[in-house]
Amino acid sequence: MGTSDKILGKSIDPAVHQMLERAEKLNMETAWDRYEKMLPQCGFGELGVCCRNCNMGPCRISPFDDQGPKKGICGATADIIVARNLIRMIAGGAAAHSDHGRDLAHTLLLTAEGKSGGYEIKDEAKLAALAAEYGIDTDGRTKEEIALDLARAVYAEFGKQEGPIRFTRRAPEKRVAQWQKMGIDPRGIDREIVEIMHRTHIGVDNDPVNLILQGLKASIADGWGGSTIATEISDVLFGTPSPVRSEANLGVLKKDHVNIVAHGHEPVLSEMILAAAADPALVAKAEAAGAKGINVVGMCCTGNEIIMRHGIPIAGNFLQQELAVMTGAVEAMIVDVQCIMPALGDLCSCFHTRFISTSPKAKFPGAVHMEFHEEKALETAKEIVGAAVENYGNRVAEKVFIPGEKTECMVGFSTEAIVKALGGTLDPLLDAVKSGAVRGIAGVVGCNNPKIKHDHGHVALVRELIENNVLVVTTGCNAIACAKAGLMLPEAAEEAGDGLAGVCRTLGVPPVLHMGSCVDISRILTTCAAVANALGVDISDLPVAGAAPEWMSEKAVSIGAYVVSSGIFTVLGTVPQVLGSPLVTEVLTRTANDVVGAAFAVETDPVKGADLMIAHIDKKRAALGI
Amino acid sequence: MSEPKEIFVRTDRCVGCLSCTIACAVEHSASKTLFGAVGETPAPKSRVYVEWVESDKKVPIVCRHCEDAPCMYACISGAISRNKDGVVITDTDKCIGCWTCVMVCPYGVIGRHLETHKAYRCDRCPDRDVPACVGACPTGALIYKTVPAYSASVRRHASREFVKAEGG
Amino acid sequence: MSEHRSQYLIVGGSAAGMAAAHAVREQDPAGSVTVLSAESDPPYFRPLIPFLISGKKDAAQMALSGAGPYKGEDIVVETDAFVSGVDPASRAVTLEDGRRFGYEKILFATGSRPYVPPEIEGTETDGVFALRTLADARKMAARVEKTEHAVLLGGGLLNLKAAFALLERGLKVTLVVFSPEVLSQLMEPEDARLIRQALDRAGLSIKTGAAATAVRAGKDGVRAVALDDGSELACQMVCIGKGVRPNVEFLEGSGIVIDGGIVADRHTACNLSGAFAAGDVAVTYEPVSGEPMMTALWTNAVEMGRCAGLNMAGRKTAYTGTFGILNATQVAEEPFVSMGVVHAGDGKYEVHRHETDTAFRKLVFNPAGDRLVGAVFVGDISNAGLYRYVIREKMPVDRFKRQLIDHSLHYGHLLR
Repeated sequence: MGTSDKILGKSIDPAVHQMLERAEKLNMETAWDRYEKMLPQCGFGELGVCCRNCNMGPCRISPFDDQGPKKGICGATADIIVARNLIRMIAGGAAAHSDHGRDLAHTLLLTAEGKSGGYEIKDEAKLAALAAEYGIDTDGRTKEEIALDLARAVYAEFGKQEGPIRFTRRAPEKRVAQWQKMGIDPRGIDREIVEIMHRTHIGVDNDPVNLILQGLKASIADGWGGSTIATEISDVLFGTPSPVRSEANLGVLKKDHVNIVAHGHEPVLSEMILAAAADPALVAKAEAAGAKGINVVGMCCTGNEIIMRHGIPIAGNFLQQELAVMTGAVEAMIVDVQCIMPALGDLCSCFHTRFISTSPKAKFPGAVHMEFHEEKALETAKEIVGAAVENYGNRVAEKVFIPGEKTECMVGFSTEAIVKALGGTLDPLLDAVKSGAVRGIAGVVGCNNPKIKHDHGHVALVRELIENNVLVVTTGCNAIACAKAGLMLPEAAEEAGDGLAGVCRTLGVPPVLHMGSCVDISRILTTCAAVANALGVDISDLPVAGAAPEWMSEKAVSIGAYVVSSGIFTVLGTVPQVLGSPLVTEVLTRTANDVVGAAFAVETDPVKGADLMIAHIDKKRAALGI
Repeated sequence: MSEPKEIFVRTDRCVGCLSCTIACAVEHSASKTLFGAVGETPAPKSRVYVEWVESDKKVPIVCRHCEDAPCMYACISGAISRNKDGVVITDTDKCIGCWTCVMVCPYGVIGRHLETHKAYRCDRCPDRDVPACVGACPTGALIYKTVPAYSASVRRHASREFVKAEGG
Repeated sequence: MSEHRSQYLIVGGSAAGMAAAHAVREQDPAGSVTVLSAESDPPYFRPLIPFLISGKKDAAQMALSGAGPYKGEDIVVETDAFVSGVDPASRAVTLEDGRRFGYEKILFATGSRPYVPPEIEGTETDGVFALRTLADARKMAARVEKTEHAVLLGGGLLNLKAAFALLERGLKVTLVVFSPEVLSQLMEPEDARLIRQALDRAGLSIKTGAAATAVRAGKDGVRAVALDDGSELACQMVCIGKGVRPNVEFLEGSGIVIDGGIVADRHTACNLSGAFAAGDVAVTYEPVSGEPMMTALWTNAVEMGRCAGLNMAGRKTAYTGTFGILNATQVAEEPFVSMGVVHAGDGKYEVHRHETDTAFRKLVFNPAGDRLVGAVFVGDISNAGLYRYVIREKMPVDRFKRQLIDHSLHYGHLLR
């Protein structure tokens, strides 16, 4: 019997189809099943008009003129409630990214002090460049001395009370001036998040626009603050990515190896897992247990980190995490923070898979907690990998089912790598943009969401862009989707319009460039800043656009906010919880243009979304006279 | 018998908040409060359902207490009858859990109580003036009126629309 | 001999007869209604009689009049009133005891009796039953005292219910089934897997592909059953559940057209003026194919009886036809529903099966795939009524075919 229409309608990925059929057969539920059970979702929530910020509530505003309450008990209208809820989402997302950055800064600090258990400073050039940005002297100093000063400087960005945050000054002067004019030039990474929490408390900020401005401010402290720190310090510690080949999708799991999935976000953990898995003693142990070796694969953003730097294959994106466990071939699912489904606990117990949590901040039901601290990093990582190797003998052969799908991809396009591929300067790219061979550049990012056919939002939108000669840079789960769809091979230039195809062939790069994990959207910001500065314009003048076709997380809300605040028009593929306030909707989709030179659009059809981006790019080209 | 009131449903007003289902379950619990009901065993069951139709329609469905109820005639133990208020009731003592009523109900509103092996359905909240679901609905999607009163309100609305359409 | 005369005379006091009587009374508050029942017990819910054997209910709890919708007034019920002949010319019937009852309108709802296969020897032996009436149930309940092992012939629903009633009394019970699986009339063998597992778990012994050839008698009635494979099962009670035959013999010479059962038109009328037929005794038709058929189900009998009653009282009502298979029940904690065309093995239907460890469903579509014609649900029977509706109304299913197959159909889908 062929695959049911129902399953075919859930994803474009054949590996997912096979695993969903398997899930049905094994009577196991997935996020898709839980989504269906959740329908209908509460309309008050969907509209963003539910408020639980105080115990006079919970309150909900009726969307109907003639029936139901129009104000919360404190008097808050739908506009106020929606605005408060929105910026609390930004706070959550900004906090996640920023904590990630904080952990990296802390790791650098420990490493510089000689107290970390196995980390090194791999990219001294980047260390020096960052030190220069902070005005730290590098002459005649050891890398540890420089790193110590840099780590302290970066660490300080989190707790400071007055700005500026150093990396925000990478943005063009005009952009910074606009932020200052609107009062949204951030003062400190943590401070802006705390102020969101304060302002959204009952009886504090009740002006929707004022609230949104604070949201934008905190998001800028994320994008140009916490996220940039995360990216740059990761490059210092683990190396700046350069082009490398690898493979993507569930087929990267190997039947005859010990399979370890590194899932979550911070390379602080995944790099050590990789190092531990290379340990000869552990490899020997695996071979003694009957395996051919230890196969580490990534999932979600930590997977993006290790594929970018080491070409480690990636098993899938957000919605595939349960499916990886269902292959029955995973000895350990090792996780740290963010985007990890608590459903994994129950699921792993149906197989031999050990669900191992490592962060004191992130514990899960059904997980074995093997707490990971940077001071004993490699040692702990070896214990964790050892536990996985020991588990190989518990694999049940009849329960193993690994779909064959895996696609080759070329990844590793950090800003530095792109510049190098261009021959050392951005000029060839700028020339291509001016000539129209490259119509513009699009940053397509973001999660998966069962509300959108899995990967269809991502791949259909990206295909429409490259067919129209828009170069695509991508991160996160979108990047993984494009890799699986074969768009990250140089040969994929065939699918691009003639102009873009020509450029790709000349440079030997794919039309879709993997720039890394979600915090690495900061790479895109840095690149846009560099291009804008080279052209002497603001980022909002550039023929660029952003999109998050299948977004779901609060991190995505923060990202959207900082990308728009940086002057880049952004299309959202799932409807945000703001439509209960026509005012907030208007601000986000129109008024923002006057505030930050860019705005949001919501379009659930990916091809139409791409067309909106192309139209925007053309408008910017015309304004630039190119 | 005076005209009984029915529960009418305006699907254009339903936002899917499920407040009706919570209120119904609480009304049919032992403690009759939400905080008490969440701790009870067996868990109280709602007799009203909110279903979802692609792409965004939310539809509350509840027993219609049909005048010519198929369930009443299908019941092989005579447990189902229509009382003087027009409410179709399942007598749980007589119910043997054969589910023939489930098989003939064209609305799918007869539930199967897993713990007691009996059928259950909406009883129009005999201890209340207004059924719990109607009272709980925050958007006016559930309306408790007699058929003539409800039809009259629809006619009033329709006649206003007519007049508007004619340019009055 | 004096003759009783009523406006409405109903021959048969079970489902069809009593449903008709009440329907008449709803329409006509004044007309005289008389029901003639051959049984000694006043009307009762026949499907409940296994509970008498298990002891879970007593006869009073099974009484029909006054329960459910059967609350009509001034309906005269005569028990022990067996009609032996019909005289249409004088519009009267004659009872076995000689009484005569006259009528203006008459309904034949004499039902059916159990079929005892004549090829099985010794079925008159003491302790051999065919469970049909309350009286049968009483006798079986009494026999339980002398029984360690009961053998039931036939794997149909009635026998399953009787089997469980006996299991509850602590007896060892064996089912001897000719078909490859139980409930062969209601579903195909693969469909019954979950039910069969539940029956096995409950301690029922089942022998499939076997038939009884004879009942062996001892000094106290039945002592064993001989099977066609040569073996014998020692037992003290035998219950035969091999189907039913309509009670039409009394109509010989009346001029009523009989084809197996009494032939009735779309308005339940038979060929004699003022005469109607409903229930197990009537030949009705299957709504999907239009083919004539006979049914032996309580729900169908009630529907037909009501329809007949309305027609008798002057309100012309067409009968929408009856599914041959329309069953819902719970067997050993496993609820199931079976309706419409469920034997789809010959390949001309479009069949969708879905099986998990706890639930099974099978949907049968017509060859064109645009109409639902049958369904079986085991374990999860939610919204089964909607499926009956879709089948009976022959609704085009293109708008919600996927929801039908996924079992996510609900009433909201039918609203647009």
